[in-house]
Amino acid sequence: MLMQLTVSGLSQGAIYALIALSLTVVFRATTVVNFGHGDFVLGGAFGVYVLVVMLGLPFLPSAIAAIALMFACGILISRGFIDPIKAGPHIGFAMMSISLGYIFRGTTRSIWGREVLPMPRVFDIPPIFVGDLVITGDAMIISGTVAILLAGFFVVFYKTSIGKVIQAVYQSERGATLIGINVKRFHDMMWGAGLAMGAVAGILIAPISLLHPDLGAGFLIRGFAAMTLGGFGSLGGAVAGGLILGVTEQYAGAYINTALIDITSYLVILVVLVVRPSGLFGKRAVVRV
Amino acid sequence: MNQETPQKKRPLSQNGRIFYLVPLAAALIPFFANDYLQFIVNMIMVYVLVTVGFNLVIGNLGQLAFANTAFFGIGAYMTAILMTYAGFTYELALVGAAISGGLAGLLASVTALRGIRLYYLAIITLAFGELMRWVYIHAEPVTMGTDGLPLPDVTVFGMSMHSETAKFYVFLLITVLVVKGTSNLLKSRVGRAILAIRDNELTTASLGISTANYIILTFVWSGSVVGIAGAMFAASTERVFPESFGLTEVIVHFAMVMVGGAGSLIGSVIGGVVLTALPEYFRQFPGMEELFFGAIIIAVLLFLPKGLVSLLAKVSPLFRERYFRE
Amino acid sequence: MSGLLNLSGVSVHFSGLKALTDVSFSANAGEVTALIGPNGAGKTTLFNVVSGYVQPTAGEIHFKGEAIQGLTPHEVSEKGVRRTFQNGGLFGDMTVLENILTGLHVQINSNFWGLLFGTRKADEAERAAAARARRLLALMDMDGFADQQVKSLSGGQQRMVEIVRTIATEPPLLLLDEPAVGLSPPMRARMMEVIKRLAGEEGISILLIEHAIDLVMAGSDRIIVLNSGQKIAEGKPAEIRENREVLEAYLGYA
Repeated sequence: MLMQLTVSGLSQGAIYALIALSLTVVFRATTVVNFGHGDFVLGGAFGVYVLVVMLGLPFLPSAIAAIALMFACGILISRGFIDPIKAGPHIGFAMMSISLGYIFRGTTRSIWGREVLPMPRVFDIPPIFVGDLVITGDAMIISGTVAILLAGFFVVFYKTSIGKVIQAVYQSERGATLIGINVKRFHDMMWGAGLAMGAVAGILIAPISLLHPDLGAGFLIRGFAAMTLGGFGSLGGAVAGGLILGVTEQYAGAYINTALIDITSYLVILVVLVVRPSGLFGKRAVVRV
Repeated sequence: MNQETPQKKRPLSQNGRIFYLVPLAAALIPFFANDYLQFIVNMIMVYVLVTVGFNLVIGNLGQLAFANTAFFGIGAYMTAILMTYAGFTYELALVGAAISGGLAGLLASVTALRGIRLYYLAIITLAFGELMRWVYIHAEPVTMGTDGLPLPDVTVFGMSMHSETAKFYVFLLITVLVVKGTSNLLKSRVGRAILAIRDNELTTASLGISTANYIILTFVWSGSVVGIAGAMFAASTERVFPESFGLTEVIVHFAMVMVGGAGSLIGSVIGGVVLTALPEYFRQFPGMEELFFGAIIIAVLLFLPKGLVSLLAKVSPLFRERYFRE
Repeated sequence: MSGLLNLSGVSVHFSGLKALTDVSFSANAGEVTALIGPNGAGKTTLFNVVSGYVQPTAGEIHFKGEAIQGLTPHEVSEKGVRRTFQNGGLFGDMTVLENILTGLHVQINSNFWGLLFGTRKADEAERAAAARARRLLALMDMDGFADQQVKSLSGGQQRMVEIVRTIATEPPLLLLDEPAVGLSPPMRARMMEVIKRLAGEEGISILLIEHAIDLVMAGSDRIIVLNSGQKIAEGKPAEIRENREVLEAYLGYA
């Protein structure tokens, strides 16, 4: 039982990790916490739904198209909506991102109304049995894809020259400008990357859950909970936080009350921010303003 | 230095009395309005107070707290619960709603005082609001879950408040009193201290002003005002549902503050009035509410960051916020 | 332990960096005491220590005979030590008058309920404060700017407003951080005149950081010279002018 819960928790957690990581990528690069992210994650899922179910295209090209689309959306948001208000107070960013999220949510809702959309199964991989343990094909696909993505992300971040540039800008934006990095374009790219990564999470979860416009809020809160847990702004922490959150939800749901699954992330946020604001692994001080 | 000519003094002590004309004129509305219109007008007053309260924290204090929806819901549910289970009359339940809203505000201020600011505050208060909604849904024995909790007959000092017109006059009185009280506070050292904290907390402390006390005060006052709005909302709909206090409500409150003008009391009133009637219309089209409020906030952020009131202030100094009395 | 403010053996180390080492001096009541020294000499650190923004690594600070090291800025301010900031601490969204009124905050005698209900007493306290704010501005010839947004003023005017605001708090000891920096020569002279007047007529004691040596020589009663975090000289302007070590270390000529 415990092992089974852990396995399904980790595969859920892999999604949360990806969402938290994509939030962190944007936050670290631009200091903007993207309150619309849940809806952008869902945007990837709806994109695939449109292409696969409504237009009848094969899954893989559809997925790539949806990711590219969300990348473009990221650039548009950065250029058209965040950059113009950067001189204003910081809370403007939060309002802007949350409003953009609502635009996404309103769009999906006005097209699909209050329906719940089932997505056809994409992969039909038989489950593996390890003793009593059942590992479903979906869990394998999700964990596998996320693992490959994360490995790729951290290799790029820590081992390549692009990663070095990103780290340099994270350290000091002014310094980066001095050595000739176009910070504006950098922000565009990071917004694009953040939304594209979020879209991957949405696409992975689409085949195993029913799609409806309100899913986004849950994604957002879980992303925040994972980030908070791992230490806000830490890339590794976001991943670890996501996995821990996924497992915690499963345990809380199974051993205490299934209703608790929905609010585990709220409780995690409340408890962590009050007791240990720097998160489990974070050492960065809480931002005081 | 002598070459620089000082700007002409603003007309002093322009009597704000002109604003009393608004409620006086409003008092005539029942003579013209049908029941549906009257219901909308009543809702306008609910949302004026929602916006007044929210604006204190977000506009005046400059803290990004999303707990407003929670204060609103707590006020509404507290009213229904006190009336249903404790047999409170409406006027007493209203006081209970104000106090419980204020206590929720106190709770939110504790996080802000612990150094949880900006995004952290936004996230923790967002979680608080959603947690409260979960409680409304799952505390079924008390709240009747998603079925909603009906209010017993609403009476004020023994008089029935069932008709929209009766509600209207009670609401109008409450709204005028709360807005006037808030205005009194803002035009005093309290209002200045709150603004000063928004601009620069350290400097404010260096002037001998206890910043912590004013942060607490702002949250508590904001919570009470929105709690009162919740009580009015409950009386207006006569049944409270968890779904009234969800995430869509968050963006509605935001839009009202931003459209009217962040940090402006007059702006709050304008935002509440302008944006209340519309969602009623949009509610019949799924998604339209979200699109409308999302788009309107984006437009304001991009093109009119200080809201409608900043346009009016250009026309007449009456609309310029002043934080002192002479 | 003679002065209004006494520092004895105050040191501040930031992770190995010695910002201040064993600094002792007194500032007397009713006098203008100036702190001078080259950039990085520790003047601003010293201000931060006195006003509670930085905790001393060692040493004691007494104000009116009471130890104030280790207190928060707010507590230090309550004891009567008030400061201005190098980068301006004005509230940009408020008018000049509203800024001055924040300085009068603690003197306005009203409570929450009185303000909320707009009682006559609270109302009168507010009106009296506004009138006093205008008088204080007039003292500095700034009354014409009362209803302007602070943001729209020049740097020098803003600094004047900040000083008026701090004076409004009726501080027993006023810490002024480079009040004349960036001002035009006539404005600088005026600033120094105002500072002298404050000490002479209003009875406010002043501790001053200033780069402009001519102003310091003309306007202060006593001078403390810092270099590399240490006090290298102390005395009346005339004595400092003759001090060889100061001339070499700071004034750059021998």
